Amino acid sequence: MVSLDPVVRFENVGMRYGRGPEILRDISFALEPGCFYFLTGLSGAGKSSLLRLMYLGHRPSRGLISLFGHDISTVPSVKLPDVRRRIGVVLQDFRLLDHLSALDNVALPLRIAGARSDQINEHVVELLRWVGLEQQLNARPPTLSGGEQQRVAIARAVINRPSLLLADEPTGNIDDKIAMRVLYLFEELNKVGTSVVIATHNESLVNRFDYPQMHLEDGQLHQTSAAQRISA
Amino acid sequence: MIRRHSDLPLERDSSSRFMPWIIAFMVFLAVLSLTSAMVLNSAVSRWTAGLTGTLTVQIIASEEDRGADLAAVTEKAAKVLQATPGVEGIRILSEREVGALLEPWLGTDEAFKDLPLPRLIDVTIDETIEMDLEALAAQLAEVAPGATVDDHRKWLADLITLVRSVELFSAGIVLLTALIAILTVIFAARTGLAVHHHVIELLHIIGARDSYIARQFQYHALTLGLRGGILGLGLALVALFALSGVAGDVQSRVVPELSLSAGQWVVLAGLPLITAVIAMLTARITVLRTLARMP
Repeated sequence: MVSLDPVVRFENVGMRYGRGPEILRDISFALEPGCFYFLTGLSGAGKSSLLRLMYLGHRPSRGLISLFGHDISTVPSVKLPDVRRRIGVVLQDFRLLDHLSALDNVALPLRIAGARSDQINEHVVELLRWVGLEQQLNARPPTLSGGEQQRVAIARAVINRPSLLLADEPTGNIDDKIAMRVLYLFEELNKVGTSVVIATHNESLVNRFDYPQMHLEDGQLHQTSAAQRISA
Repeated sequence: MIRRHSDLPLERDSSSRFMPWIIAFMVFLAVLSLTSAMVLNSAVSRWTAGLTGTLTVQIIASEEDRGADLAAVTEKAAKVLQATPGVEGIRILSEREVGALLEPWLGTDEAFKDLPLPRLIDVTIDETIEMDLEALAAQLAEVAPGATVDDHRKWLADLITLVRSVELFSAGIVLLTALIAILTVIFAARTGLAVHHHVIELLHIIGARDSYIARQFQYHALTLGLRGGILGLGLALVALFALSGVAGDVQSRVVPELSLSAGQWVVLAGLPLITAVIAMLTARITVLRTLARMP
């Protein structure tokens, strides 16, 4: 039986860093399973911070967050890794481990989840081939171009077939052709059931797709459905 | 194709260079402290065993008797002893033997030959019979004024108190070195957590449990602890063998013999492992406590 719980639900969520001012205020929304959203806003609008809350990289200062139907504030800390393993994250700065090869970087989530070595090898090589890095399997991140590093980061985020994929400016360092290819990859994942949220300030890229949009401005969130966007 | 490796490049940290040396130094001190305690303990055991069941009667030439025949007085005292119930045997030490006992302190200088040396009688007693030493001393005083009976108990008690104090002091040094080693590991682990904060955050984000991250720190600490411990033990053994060589000439006379039993060697050999395990557990606890504060 398929769960109908929203993948992500925020209710009146606020967020601040340390004792600083609240940078996100009264954020409320729900993402249904299989959705595809763009998260837009100017630089500094709080897109990365909102994603941080979604991938449990930061605790909210107030409000309720539930992921996959579980109120995060009530989930025991030992169970949080299980929740995190259902989320794939592409970080803006990639956060690749320089001392590991591209192959080992992509294999990291599988290894952490305790997958067998032969399975890891098979899946990772296949995925790296799919993102066009079959020649760079053993290359270390510092020897890769920005675009190649980004594709390694994307491969690492999707290797676990996550239920929710969060990408922070995934097309920031790559040319338009590869950016489109990356977005098509996200679309394919979305078609097989992965909910996708892509944070970007690239309006022209967003406009090429008919997906709904969440827009952050002055710490508050405004949602626009696909139909509204088309009519606009 | 996929190798076993650490997700955290801890080997490149500066702590990887200094920690083994600090641990080596601590193990070095601990081995020396423990060895001194064990050597003294063994010496006390040997002395206690050697002196149990024996008495020493000392006959000193009194002012009036100076120049008189001390040997005749000693013979009289020997007869009294032989007639005493509980005495199994006696042996009168020759002047040469008494001189040899004093040689470590007085040397072999001819000037000391004229000193009025006391005569000593080594008495073997039956330990099952309780002897009245005061009565024996009174009996001896009748035939040999100034004779004293020494059952070594006071001397042994003082010595044992001294040795126990040294042992306590050594235990204190061992505890102190362990504490410093623990503090070093805590410092290194916290530094590692700070230096690799971004990697740790990433591992968290992709679902690593705290124990997965802690395991990497603890194995790193175990390796460094073993490396440092073995180095420290090696250096301490070199120092001990050197010390043993230097002490070789005098040990039979005034210093306890520098030898250890098989069990004591096992304890010393186990120190690097114990240190490494302490380092491992310290790193694990430190990392887990720090990670518990992360979101």
